[in-house]
Amino acid sequence: MNRMIEVTSDWYLTLSAILFSIGFLGMMFRKNALIMFMCIELMLNAVNLTFITASKHLGLIDGQIAVFFVLVVAAAEVVVGLAIIVSIFKKQESASVDMLSSAKG
Amino acid sequence: MDILILAVVALPLLTALFLKVASKFLNELLTNFITINAALLSVGVSFLMFGYLFLDKFKPIKFELFEWYPSPQIIFEFYLDGLSGVMMVLISGLSLVIQLFSTSYMSKDEKYTKYFEYFNFFVFSMLLLVLSGNFLVMFFGWELVGLSSYLLISFWYEKNSAAKAGNKAFILNRIGDFGFLIGLMMILNYFETFNFVDIFDSVLIKQPSNLDLIILFLLLGAFGKSAQFPLFSWLPDAMEGPTPASALIHAATMVTAGVFMLVRVSPMLQFSELASLTIIGFGLLTALIAAFAAINQDDIKKVLAYSTISQLGFMFIAIGAGAYVAAIFHLVTHAFFKALLFLGAGAVIHEMHHEQNIHKMGGLRKKMPITAAMMGIGTLAISGIPPLAGFWSKDEILASVFSKGGIYYGFWALSLLAAFMTAFYMGRHWLLIFVKEPKNNLESIHEAPKNMTRPLILLGIFTIFIGFINTPFFHGLEKVLEETLHHVEVTHLPKGLTLAVLAVLSIGAGFTGLALAYLIYIFDIISYFKLKIPFINEIKNLSKNVIFINDVGNIVFVKGLKSVSRRVAVTVDAMTIDGIVNGISKYFLKSSKQLSYTQTGLVRNYVVYFGLFTLILVLIFLISPEVLA
Repeated sequence: MNRMIEVTSDWYLTLSAILFSIGFLGMMFRKNALIMFMCIELMLNAVNLTFITASKHLGLIDGQIAVFFVLVVAAAEVVVGLAIIVSIFKKQESASVDMLSSAKG
Repeated sequence: MDILILAVVALPLLTALFLKVASKFLNELLTNFITINAALLSVGVSFLMFGYLFLDKFKPIKFELFEWYPSPQIIFEFYLDGLSGVMMVLISGLSLVIQLFSTSYMSKDEKYTKYFEYFNFFVFSMLLLVLSGNFLVMFFGWELVGLSSYLLISFWYEKNSAAKAGNKAFILNRIGDFGFLIGLMMILNYFETFNFVDIFDSVLIKQPSNLDLIILFLLLGAFGKSAQFPLFSWLPDAMEGPTPASALIHAATMVTAGVFMLVRVSPMLQFSELASLTIIGFGLLTALIAAFAAINQDDIKKVLAYSTISQLGFMFIAIGAGAYVAAIFHLVTHAFFKALLFLGAGAVIHEMHHEQNIHKMGGLRKKMPITAAMMGIGTLAISGIPPLAGFWSKDEILASVFSKGGIYYGFWALSLLAAFMTAFYMGRHWLLIFVKEPKNNLESIHEAPKNMTRPLILLGIFTIFIGFINTPFFHGLEKVLEETLHHVEVTHLPKGLTLAVLAVLSIGAGFTGLALAYLIYIFDIISYFKLKIPFINEIKNLSKNVIFINDVGNIVFVKGLKSVSRRVAVTVDAMTIDGIVNGISKYFLKSSKQLSYTQTGLVRNYVVYFGLFTLILVLIFLISPEVLA
């Protein structure tokens, strides 16, 4: 009998945490708007993974429903976010967000 | 008949209103036509009323215009008795004469029509004051004469000094009016009516306990309006107005409003010993200070202004001594000779091309014989030389004071001194203008136009004869006022030899004053005998600056209040109130500035905050899960 490694919910949650942390660190340390945007996507998907894991673990459908909502929001966010990034790029020939500090106090 | 009272009051008002409305279409001739005819009509009606009153043995006539307030009942009413009758005839008569003079004096002035508008408005206010049937209507007239006086003093408001003089007169009068108003409130509080007749009837039966206080407050009003010490300094400044207006307002009528009011309230006044002593004390002080000040004035009108104050002091002395008839008598004679002197001064000023310094005049009697003669009559009259008007009235005052006896002998002596000083400064005034050798070339000066000399001659004639209305041999005015002063104890003249001696003394004072003026200013006795009078310069200085009353007032009231209010402005307003308000706003500005450093504008930092607070949230959840539940 093959000794199968059982993939439990913990594994998924750990992966999700790792993904989220990568996304968060990316947000903190990268200046390129496009990369930051990707990091946001990463974090969103990490959350999605958590939802699905919880759904499977608890045997409830609610988590999967929440994921659909997150996907819809993410899609909408992509539209707006990409438009903003394009206009930033048009303005300063670079996608760096550090230059956009006119709201500085 | 009684509706004619309304006509007397309303006529000048309507004239003023008409002149105001139609001023654009009126030239000088049309204005003259309207105002002189209105004044003539006014005089006619006044004399008609007075004649009617005379035939009716001066039984008072009442006229109620409308009820103003039901309880306590206040009626807009008029009251015509001997007292207001005399004032009415005096005011409308003098206003006619002075308007005649003004047509020439004010000629070619830009605001010619406006002048007559104000003038008529003043006459209306004054008539309202004297014909009022209760205290409230009187207060209206009282305030309105203040207003019209203000308008006429600052008539040439382009001149800064004129505008300031108007303000000064108004403010000093307000001090008096404030007292008058408080007196009125106390009267209403006690008597629950303003009607003269009701109040005087009830005061005869029972005197209020605060009668002294009421009278003293009314007195403050009289002091302000009649320019008594210490509220007199507005009157000399009021000479900035047109001279004929000064003649009517600041010599003949308005300033006597206080005297009139006190005689009107004499039924109350007789019960207050304190008030009588206050009146005579301040009257004497005023008469002496003003006479002293008049000795060394250089301005032709200022001498007359101080002389007016001094003569008003005499009237107050008479009231204080209880000689109400003498006070009104002096009021009437003074109105004539002072109007004469003022109009004479106006003629001189007009011909001297608005030069008012008497030292720059001299020898004018050859150039202006009629004016000189008429002003001479006025000077003799005010000095108390018989048989001119001033003698009879002033002598009556002096004799009445004497006849009271006791401490009043001292008052009499001081009054006699004031009378002597009056003769002295008036002699100096006339001699410097008309007799003394002129220093400047006055070749081009000639007699004033006929429209000026005719009113002068008319007033001159009155000045000679008006005294005969009330002599020791013929008590005309006393009979006129008999009904008014029915229940009032009036001080009467002494009889026989005492009266004769007193008369001789007062004539002596007059002649000595005039003679001394001649010796000093024409004969120049001081340098002739090389006399040395100690402290002469100090005395001259004191007189010229009116014993520094303006400066004292300036330091105490103006500067004192200014520094106090400045301090209050700095400590309370700028430091406390502004400090609190600005401090609050500064605090928020500062703290928000510091808080705003967290807004770096870098997205990365915001992410860090975001993460930080998420972590905190998670921590809270871990420590106590029930918080989020």
